Amino acid sequence: MEQTGFRAMGTEVELILDVPPNGWSPGIFATVRQEFARLESILSRFRPDSELSALNRSGRVHAGPDLVRVTELALAARVQTNGRFDPTVHDALVAAGYDRTFEEVGALGTVVATRPDARCGGGVSVDRETGEIVLEPGTHLDFGGIGKGYAVDRACDLLAPYGPCLVSAGGDLAVRGGSWPVGVDAALELTLELTSGAIATSGSDRRRWSTTRGDAHHLIDPQTGAPSETDLVRVTVVGRSAVEAEVLAKALFLAGVERARAEADELEVPAVLTLDDGRILLAGGLS
Amino acid sequence: MAMTSHTGRLYGLAGALFAFFLLWAVVAAHPWATPAATSDPRLATLAQREKRLRADAALVQQIVDRRFAAYKVALAKRQAEIAAARSRAAASLAAAPVSQGSAAAPSVRVVTLPPLVITKTS
Repeated sequence: MEQTGFRAMGTEVELILDVPPNGWSPGIFATVRQEFARLESILSRFRPDSELSALNRSGRVHAGPDLVRVTELALAARVQTNGRFDPTVHDALVAAGYDRTFEEVGALGTVVATRPDARCGGGVSVDRETGEIVLEPGTHLDFGGIGKGYAVDRACDLLAPYGPCLVSAGGDLAVRGGSWPVGVDAALELTLELTSGAIATSGSDRRRWSTTRGDAHHLIDPQTGAPSETDLVRVTVVGRSAVEAEVLAKALFLAGVERARAEADELEVPAVLTLDDGRILLAGGLS
Repeated sequence: MAMTSHTGRLYGLAGALFAFFLLWAVVAAHPWATPAATSDPRLATLAQREKRLRADAALVQQIVDRRFAAYKVALAKRQAEIAAARSRAAASLAAAPVSQGSAAAPSVRVVTLPPLVITKTS
């Protein structure tokens, strides 16, 4: 079992590869690390030279395949979740005070929150043939969560040929092959054994900060343009990929406990729901 | 007799003044000038030019109206094409799985093993 860790995309990344000591090349970990750095340089809204920042500045860009793919995935997710997952929450995040990296927001102490009702749901069009992405005027994108999920999936793609692997980055975790016991954050007594697919956790208990309007967190409800208020503190979802799990976790979190439970059961999406009163509910076939 | 002569001179003076102003009025009226000589040729040129410009403007308006009508037809057609394309794109997005590649269905179960890793909240 080989493993390494490094920091990327504002979180700790952990790579585990189940291979015999002499049956692999350590260079693959460096390759994965470079891939994380490359994707961050494309998808980060905090880097002024990223493709995403160029798109947000000009409203139109001829993008590379990764930005095109992530944009397509995010738009598909917006349709499939009826807008509960929406990449156009950028302005709402900025309005809530999340206008710089989370480390920098945390270092500020209390930040100034402006419009609590920033508009979401703006139009985005993608031309896969030409790579052109066009934003409706006033629309800006944030790929914070889905970008990390995309990177985790890419990392698994790179590691999988060498053997069973696990990649974890913040709330996104994916495995390929093998059998991996994964503890669910707060419910430390609960362990899920994952042999394929991914787990993502979205919650309002992390990435919180103080603002002039009170406490805020990063899970924006696109309908209100403000940090969501539900009776859930955290949702952990198992999906086919980290991107899918990330999207479903956010969508179920915004749905609130009753609807999230019903949807998880209906869609047969294994989910762990942590309520604001501390209770934990299993849904989607988990028991 | 002297008085008669004085009165005669007054009448004479009045008559002369009347004749003078009458002559002045006649001269000021330019009775010898012909109607053609009173119209300025520049005015006539301007009038012709105005007429020509009005005709040109009417022609241009016709062309603009025709082109705008064609543009409105083309715009309606284009908008219909865009709406159809958006509808197709939305249908295609709705049909596409929110995952990369052809990921297999996840396999998970609750176990009592100690965890190898612990998920965090994003």
